[in-house]
Amino acid sequence: MKAANPSAGSAPESVVRLRGIHKSFGSNHVLKGVDLRVERGEHVVVFGPSGSGKSTLLRTTNLLEQPDEGSVVFRGKEYGPGFKEEGLPRGRARELRQAVGMVFQQFNLFPHLSVLDNVTLGLRRVKGISREEAELRAAAQLERVGLLEKIGSFPALLSGGQQQRVAIARALVMDPAVMLFDEPTSALDPELVGEVLAAMRALAKTGMTMIVVTHEMGFAREVGDFNVFMDEGVIVEAGGREIFTDAKEPRTRDFIRAVL
Amino acid sequence: MVIGQATISFKFIWDNMGLFLDGVKLTIFIAVIAFTLATLGGLAVALMRMSKSRLVRMFVATYINVFRAIPLLVFILFVYYGIAISFELQVSAIQAGILALTLQYSAWLGEIFRGGIQAVSHGQREAALSLGMGRPQAFMRVVLPQAFRIAIPPTGNMFIGMVKDSSLVYLIGVPELLRVSNRLANRTFRYFEVYLATVLIYLVLTTSIYFMVKYLERRYALIDVLTARARRFSVFGGRRAARLRSLQEKVKQPRAVAPLEMDMGDADVADHGESVAGGPDRPG
Repeated sequence: MKAANPSAGSAPESVVRLRGIHKSFGSNHVLKGVDLRVERGEHVVVFGPSGSGKSTLLRTTNLLEQPDEGSVVFRGKEYGPGFKEEGLPRGRARELRQAVGMVFQQFNLFPHLSVLDNVTLGLRRVKGISREEAELRAAAQLERVGLLEKIGSFPALLSGGQQQRVAIARALVMDPAVMLFDEPTSALDPELVGEVLAAMRALAKTGMTMIVVTHEMGFAREVGDFNVFMDEGVIVEAGGREIFTDAKEPRTRDFIRAVL
Repeated sequence: MVIGQATISFKFIWDNMGLFLDGVKLTIFIAVIAFTLATLGGLAVALMRMSKSRLVRMFVATYINVFRAIPLLVFILFVYYGIAISFELQVSAIQAGILALTLQYSAWLGEIFRGGIQAVSHGQREAALSLGMGRPQAFMRVVLPQAFRIAIPPTGNMFIGMVKDSSLVYLIGVPELLRVSNRLANRTFRYFEVYLATVLIYLVLTTSIYFMVKYLERRYALIDVLTARARRFSVFGGRRAARLRSLQEKVKQPRAVAPLEMDMGDADVADHGESVAGGPDRPG
């Protein structure tokens, strides 16, 4: 689908590769052999009808779901059952997750911790950084998402949009190589969607590698370098911005027409 | 005052206060030790109840059902007379009593803790894992602190129950509060005064625990809008606020990270929270 040349520095270099991912929940075959390659600095948008497997795909990428078949390749290591013959070293889920940021639909901030402590937790307990240093870095990230003045507040006191921005800061502070967004605006009141999309747009401009599962087609058209349409557990069609104007597959065209 | 043939007099209660206090001390000792052990036991029960192994789950389920089904008094008599005395084990009545209370309360507390742990949403664990935490770490740092907060009120009730139930060990001869009172009443025939005093002492003990639990509940409540309003000063005031303010100043001066240039119209809507350092709201 996309060529990559790992030896040349300037050529696109894949950050994450999904290879032949299969995943079932009981008798429900959710992912039926998905391949995806994400290059450094690329913004991948995954869209499709609900139940198409797009969230599961994202959750497989940081191994919150263990694939039944196939593997995730990240930083030269292979995760999941994989293809044993290839001889890539195996990695541990924790290693991968430390370098992959995740933003959830329901924010999932820690309600017993202050905003600041939500953002420092990973630095202190996973990376072993001192409290002082962690708080400085956390505050800096919170300033980036415009919430520096909320550092002493608690998740339940924030609006949904503010909570999601804290969640973005919590993921960013770990200095991830790629950020995953799982329908980050779906749980928000309509008037709060804008501030979260603004933060994501701004993040995209910094060159962060992103995989975004979303129904926000406006955002997708603007930010998505590589757009993936999924339906019934497979990638039906994928491509650049042209996918929104002249998709080849009728299913893609129907879906885009329906949501735009 | 004369009722029937008896003269009601409380003076001798004061004279025997030392006896009562010895009884109270032992009651508190038994309740605290048994409850501490039962808390650890309950945590183990809760974890085993959620184990991956079916065998372990079945084992603890049986344990819980059996121990909850036996009347506590019967169980205490069984442990002391039925086992310790019959088999001539080197176990004192106090130890047997504590053991019986611990075993039964572990079963009850186990179910309370399991409820608390399961009430923490799955997304919490996932968020912790996706920061790169291990499973034990995610449990200790994220799930357990929230489960603990959820479990405070029912656990407090169990502690009150423990203080009351500890009176049952008087039947195996442990000189705790009830046994001391019983002996005094039988010796002086002043049943009304003695048992009234006993009732009042238990009332003071359980009520104090009730207020302690209320305090813990407030202290560790998950902050929502209402509790925050009620506690504005303790949450947002004092040294903590000063520390946060200095942190904000430090970050604002030299930009450690370039700010995300966000273009947003109406941020900060639906904002019930208080600005921590009281600084002016930054424009988005």
